[in-house]
Amino acid sequence: MDIEVGDLVVGLLVAVLGLIGLVLASGALDDEMYLFGLSLAGFAALFELGLIRRHFDRREAVRVHAAAERAGEAGAHV
Amino acid sequence: MSDAALHPGAMAVRAPVDYNMAVVRKFTIAAMFWGVVAFLVGVYLAAELSWPALNLGYSFTNFGRLRPVHTSAAIFAFGGSALFGTSFYVVQRTCRARLWGGEALADFVFWGYQFFIVMAALSYVMGFSQSQEYAEPEWHLDVFLTLVWVAYAAIFLGTLLKREESHIYVANWFYLAFILTIAVLHIVNNMAVPVSIYMAKSYSVYSGVQNALIQWWYGHNAVGFFLTAGFLGMMYYFIPKQANRPVYSYRLSVVHFWALSFTYIWAGPHHLHYTSLPDWTQTLGMVFSVILWMPSWGGMINGLMTLSGAWDKLRTDPALRFSVTAVGFYGMSTFEGPMMSIRDVNALSHYTDWTIGHVHSGALGWVAFISFGAIYYMVPLLWNRSGLYSTKLVAWHYWIATLGIVFYITAMWVAGIMQGLMWRAYDQFGFLQYSFVESVSAMHPYYVIRMLGGVMFLTGALIMVFNLVMTVRSPSTDTKAARDDGAALPAGLAVAGE
Repeated sequence: MDIEVGDLVVGLLVAVLGLIGLVLASGALDDEMYLFGLSLAGFAALFELGLIRRHFDRREAVRVHAAAERAGEAGAHV
Repeated sequence: MSDAALHPGAMAVRAPVDYNMAVVRKFTIAAMFWGVVAFLVGVYLAAELSWPALNLGYSFTNFGRLRPVHTSAAIFAFGGSALFGTSFYVVQRTCRARLWGGEALADFVFWGYQFFIVMAALSYVMGFSQSQEYAEPEWHLDVFLTLVWVAYAAIFLGTLLKREESHIYVANWFYLAFILTIAVLHIVNNMAVPVSIYMAKSYSVYSGVQNALIQWWYGHNAVGFFLTAGFLGMMYYFIPKQANRPVYSYRLSVVHFWALSFTYIWAGPHHLHYTSLPDWTQTLGMVFSVILWMPSWGGMINGLMTLSGAWDKLRTDPALRFSVTAVGFYGMSTFEGPMMSIRDVNALSHYTDWTIGHVHSGALGWVAFISFGAIYYMVPLLWNRSGLYSTKLVAWHYWIATLGIVFYITAMWVAGIMQGLMWRAYDQFGFLQYSFVESVSAMHPYYVIRMLGGVMFLTGALIMVFNLVMTVRSPSTDTKAARDDGAALPAGLAVAGE
């Protein structure tokens, strides 16, 4: 199953945000920026994992649906 | 002759649209969660004001740090989540179009907004703030919010552009005004120069009285476009749906929209009476605030009169009672606001608890009640349930919350007017009759009553959460009929732009 364009664009944007978070945390001069930077990186990582999970969930759903249809057709021929 | 022959096309069935209701469900849960958080922190702060020892001596439990947590949780977290959720619900249904941009973009708006809220709250308790009301987050959080907001605006506009209905229903106009104006306000008011890209601290590009004017142009329009226009969008969709009646006057709703949008944007300077702001600017703000009374009441009348012929539903549908009472509070607040903006009234009311009472009659009575009404309407539809778990619990919620608001705002009226009168009282020698601390001490009983009002409102919200959780989980509300995607709606199918 193809990756949707929307998922790709949002995934890339959030990945960039995560990298910015790491840069901010690495050079942070106060607690707030350190916390924000690390949290932004964590947010981005979790969001990307969610995107990946949804992609495979969707692929699995298509596979199961196709298998059910094939089983239905086979039953009709018997 | 059959109906189909008489009305060609009447029997034509349009293909169901695969709406993105997952993001609406998430925002609904978030609204309920943040509502409870906001009310809980509010009660704690009210207790701190009654018994200052509850500050506990820690910097992060200090009133000054927790107060923006309360206001942001109420306005942006609770109100914002309710607005995002209902706007996504309304725009899809009235345009007969799935949200533009795909699931990932909608998810980014949801999770990004929640991330912003949590990070903002953490920054407040850590002591980082721009010290500007309703615009406390520092520059890095402002930039992040701008990204989320642009994505939100793109989804909403994109959905409008790909709509299957030729007409854009009025609720969407109000939501759009909210989205676009808040974007402009947020960007302009938060123009700041950070000390370093690696530091949270920043300084506003505006200084002195210009900063104050920009801040209250933002602040008042946060009220006008976040807390009013957005929730009016909610009113124009959900009240016709709940009452199963079309909007009383569609023409009036359009006049309401343009008059409100044009007038609100000028009213900000009334927050700066008797300051170094030029006199004519203060007068301008005052005049536009008074003018604002009329479009506001036009909208209120339109909302209330939508119930023409359906008033009996108020007896049987407590969720509708929430929505209609909200419109009543909207009318009350939009009379009180213009009155308080008159310079001579402001001389008494400004800096007193009267302002706090005014804000809460709007926030609790209007914003929270119209949201509760919408949430009670949406939850059974979103989770495909036959109805609410308990109508009786909705009625309990309604009465406890209403009484809570009455306690709150009457206590603040009395406290505020007393404060104002004590501060301006002179003795026969021309000295101030009361010291400041005497006025603080005189407030104590009213602060306790205010806290009790808050406890009642919080209790009502907890009842709502229990009722809605049970609505989703209880077997008694289970249904086989799929109603969410337009197969069969309980009330108001043919109204509110659908």
